[in-house]
Amino acid sequence: MKWLQRHIRPEQVRELSLLLLIVAAVLIFGSMIDGYYTSRTFNRITSSVAIITVVAVGQTLVVLTRNIDLAVGSIVGCTAYFTGAQLAAHHGMPPVVAVLIAMALGCVMGAINGALVAYGRVPSIIVTLGSLAIFRGILIDYSGARTVTTDSLPKWLLELPRLNFVTIGDLDIRAMFALAVGIVLLFQIGTSFLNVARQFYAMGSNPDAAELIGMPARRIVFSAFVLSGTLSGLAGFMFLARFGSITVEAARGMELQVVAAVVVGGVNIFGGSGTVFGAMLGAIMIGTLEQSLFRLQISEFWRDAILGLLILLAVASDAVILNRLRAIWARTDLKLVARDSASPAEAKR
Amino acid sequence: MNIRARLLRWETLLLAMLVVIAGLNIAYSPFYLGVGNIVNLFQLSIEKIIVALIMTLIIICGEIDLSVASVMGLASCVTAWLFQMGWPMPWALVAALAVGGVAGLINGFWTAYVGLPSLAVTLAGLIGYRGVARILVEDRAIGGYPLWFNNLGQQPQFGPLTISIVIFLAMFAIMAVVLHRSALGRLVYVMGNNLQAARYSGVRVRRVKLLLFVASSMIAALAGLLYAARLGSVRGDMAQGFELDVITMVLLGGVSIFGGSGNLLGVGLSILVILNLRNGMGLADITGNTQTSVIGALLILSVLVPNMARMIHTRWKGRET
Amino acid sequence: MSWTAAQQRPGGAATAPPILEMRGIAKRFGATQALDDVSLTLRAGEIHALLGENGAGKSTLIKIMTGVYQPDRGEILLSGQPIAIGSAAEAQRHGIAAIYQEPLLFPDLNVAENIFVSHQNRGVVTNWRKMFREAEAILATLGVTLDVRSPARGLTLAAQQSVEIAKAISLNVRVLIMDEPTASLSAHEVGQLFRLVRDLRDQGVAILFVSHRMEEVFQIADSVTVFRDGRLISTRPAAEVSPQSAIADMVGREMGLFQRRAPAPKGEKLLSVQGLGRTGVFSDVSFDLHRGEVLGFAGLIGAGRTDIGLALFGIEPATAGQIVLNGKTETIRSPRQAMSLGVAYVSEDRRQLGLSLPMSISANISLPVLSRYLTRLGLIRTSQERDTAEGFRKRLSIRTPNVELPVAKLSGGNQQKVMLSKWLNTHPALLILDEPTRGIDVGAKAEVHAMIGELAAEGIGIILISSDLPEVLAMSDRVLVMREGRQMAILDGGAATSQTVMTAAMGQEFAA
Repeated sequence: MKWLQRHIRPEQVRELSLLLLIVAAVLIFGSMIDGYYTSRTFNRITSSVAIITVVAVGQTLVVLTRNIDLAVGSIVGCTAYFTGAQLAAHHGMPPVVAVLIAMALGCVMGAINGALVAYGRVPSIIVTLGSLAIFRGILIDYSGARTVTTDSLPKWLLELPRLNFVTIGDLDIRAMFALAVGIVLLFQIGTSFLNVARQFYAMGSNPDAAELIGMPARRIVFSAFVLSGTLSGLAGFMFLARFGSITVEAARGMELQVVAAVVVGGVNIFGGSGTVFGAMLGAIMIGTLEQSLFRLQISEFWRDAILGLLILLAVASDAVILNRLRAIWARTDLKLVARDSASPAEAKR
Repeated sequence: MNIRARLLRWETLLLAMLVVIAGLNIAYSPFYLGVGNIVNLFQLSIEKIIVALIMTLIIICGEIDLSVASVMGLASCVTAWLFQMGWPMPWALVAALAVGGVAGLINGFWTAYVGLPSLAVTLAGLIGYRGVARILVEDRAIGGYPLWFNNLGQQPQFGPLTISIVIFLAMFAIMAVVLHRSALGRLVYVMGNNLQAARYSGVRVRRVKLLLFVASSMIAALAGLLYAARLGSVRGDMAQGFELDVITMVLLGGVSIFGGSGNLLGVGLSILVILNLRNGMGLADITGNTQTSVIGALLILSVLVPNMARMIHTRWKGRET
Repeated sequence: MSWTAAQQRPGGAATAPPILEMRGIAKRFGATQALDDVSLTLRAGEIHALLGENGAGKSTLIKIMTGVYQPDRGEILLSGQPIAIGSAAEAQRHGIAAIYQEPLLFPDLNVAENIFVSHQNRGVVTNWRKMFREAEAILATLGVTLDVRSPARGLTLAAQQSVEIAKAISLNVRVLIMDEPTASLSAHEVGQLFRLVRDLRDQGVAILFVSHRMEEVFQIADSVTVFRDGRLISTRPAAEVSPQSAIADMVGREMGLFQRRAPAPKGEKLLSVQGLGRTGVFSDVSFDLHRGEVLGFAGLIGAGRTDIGLALFGIEPATAGQIVLNGKTETIRSPRQAMSLGVAYVSEDRRQLGLSLPMSISANISLPVLSRYLTRLGLIRTSQERDTAEGFRKRLSIRTPNVELPVAKLSGGNQQKVMLSKWLNTHPALLILDEPTRGIDVGAKAEVHAMIGELAAEGIGIILISSDLPEVLAMSDRVLVMREGRQMAILDGGAATSQTVMTAAMGQEFAA
């Protein structure tokens, strides 16, 4: 126990237990489904997880600053459609340009949200509830309700989902999943080491104190939304590559899955704590459930019920269990500090 | 209150908007003022506006219920499932309302007694209750209900009015009295304003919250059943995404997302504005999705404009001194 | 004038150059003159103690020095150059840092990061290993062993305080303000802290030390300044000050300000409290209260007076001891239950805990007993509400055009009267008044005092919690003095003087 306490933080216990839960889920599904442990299952899970993960990274940044971005589903849909339409019209467009178009569009949409929240002082839930509808409406008008079809897209794009990054034994690590993991790593390292990024945590943890020591509160919130939009744009590109045919309904409702992934991944809905890595675990948990229940003959329809329960458990455990854990950890600190505490804590108010 | 303040009240702005929109609609279409069009105008969104009434109370109390649309779906799916299993329709309806009550108890328990944020709890409900509904009906569409049930949603029962519209009107009157005249309404405002002050005044805050969440889910269940009656068939994704429209109606009505302020008159006006706007845009051949974006923009502007006005005002004042 | 006194002090520090000079500082909040023409000089290598009762203006001065408030008048000189301190960040750039009694930490960031969070030049990348090492080094000089990797959330108050001190040290401050830094530390920790403070002084840091613990002040201070009612009373070298003379300076106000309440005839015993306590907050409090009696609770902020009130009102129920109300032993678990037993608690924080500011006067007054104003259908009889409010408006002379006005529009004093009305309307047998006159003007104060007298005469038992010592002395039949969660004394009206009360509250032996 001592060793455990020295090397693992309560927050990491949270992520570890989620990891164990994923392993347990995989074992249970494996015992119930014949031929579960195949590269096909793995691919199916990873390609669905990849897109959610990229969006969840951006959402994590927003939630850390005590906000929420409900517009991500619409941003993914818009960028997927728009990029698809451009690629259909200009077959010779280099891949890099296509990705940049998607990200730039997402960035602009995120900047609109961010400006309204940070500088217009409109609560994020209102802004993104509104822009969720607006972006989707613009998409439908722009498209004239036409569909981007697979055969109109360049070949390289359609082959992208099956492109392998590396093959380990039987398992193919798809390039898109590798990209998602790469982004998680990038942001995990960034949020852990960049001083600018640490301000996200400070802002969400104690906004008053942050402002008192002169942190640029508004700029921090604004950049969180911009990053969320940009990453959603990238996810839009991945969405286009994965599905090929894009209707105006693309990625509708994805914001719920993303927020669920973030919350299940241990990011505090009231800001200040949680990691990008945790959000990825949340996305993996949800993706595993989704794809495995699909394979189970019982019913894929159990997915949402289980997901709802998972979210509730995640939030409740944050509130109740994590506080317990912290108390246990803190008590050991106390022993170290107050070896000779003569009087109990006196000042309380 | 002086004249200027009265003119700047949110309700006045909504009323002006309503007059303009209605005027344009009348100019545009001769059928606009017909009873048929007006009944239809209400009938097309009747379930949402019923739920918006109780959502008003929840948001004024400083909470939010994102699970209402899923409870609507769940209630209709429970009825459909039980009916298919051979239950008599009336019992299936009662059971659906009871299930709504249980959903509300779950939301209320975690929010009021455990102290979790309602945003997270009802997000879990939004996904979870929908999931239960899916388990019950899977991907079928269940129909074939007794004629009286379908008539309930589709046929005018009181003169030109359907029973849903009558329920809405009655509920509006009841909610107005509850919110603005009763003890419960007073407590809702006090809690939304300052939860600690309410607690220090001996208000049983947890009980009030639980009551609100149960009422919210039961009314949502009722609305779900009315929706099923109107459509005549039930699917797992019924009413999906309605929560956004409902919340938009409430917030556009001048209710603060932080609780403590707003009134039912404003919400009533905002409902009329939204319905007439949609109707008018429909008459002008503007698609449903553009309509949705316009309403989304209206929602953001409803908070942004007063904010900007205040900011400019204080800056201006600051320069004077 | 203040610094000439310090200059006369023989020896090292007096000749040291002044670092921070405050000249003729004045600050007013509404009706209260918080600071009135105060001049204070802090010198390199000097520990300057600042003493004064609650509300004497110490915190206002600190907030001006740290850029939270701007002074109405006066100037601030840093090393002889006039400066403006527009924000906390600016104060920090000038090398001025403050440590407060309640630490201002980021609960989700770890200890090391909290220590270095406000460094402007942290660079682009956080070198955690280096940061942990430096944080540990700083904490080691403090003699504190803390896990620098754990989040601040789980830390005890003492540990959080150490982090705050480490934070200030890491900033290489020139002026360090310590506002009751020892309030949550154990004796051993205080010893370590003092060693450190002396080290800092020897390195040439100017230290302003605010404390209520008299023995500590005389242990560490080089010079002592006393504030009273927003004015500087004296600045003297510590060697020339005794605890007695310091206390005399602190309380030396004329009593004529308040008329002593004529004692009402004591009624039967209303409340008897035996060994009351709440774990970690206060313990072993015992007293009796009779009908028609005013029992004052004196003591410094954080001494546990409010917590006794909260325990009696059921907000934070007691965990030990016995409450006998009207001859019956009661366990009070909720405000509602307390109200049904005839207990009313008028909170010290009327904006956060007492009133619903956007709501009308009448709605606020009826709130605790709303059921009394309902028709059979559960609707509110607003006319009856208005009548009640009108009654109180006349009785307490609440100055307002009408009782439908939002409470937010009233002045502090009138808000206080609405609070009082709200609780009188519950017809209490036991009325707990927590700081009933804080932040209200002299006229309103006198009216509240008159009201207390009337209520006692009507046979209500009153507990008066107040940091305004003359008020407690003038109003109370007896005074219970608290210090650090413990009951120090119950003084009878005759025996209670400002000096005896203050002495008990500060834990200082004092022969008058």
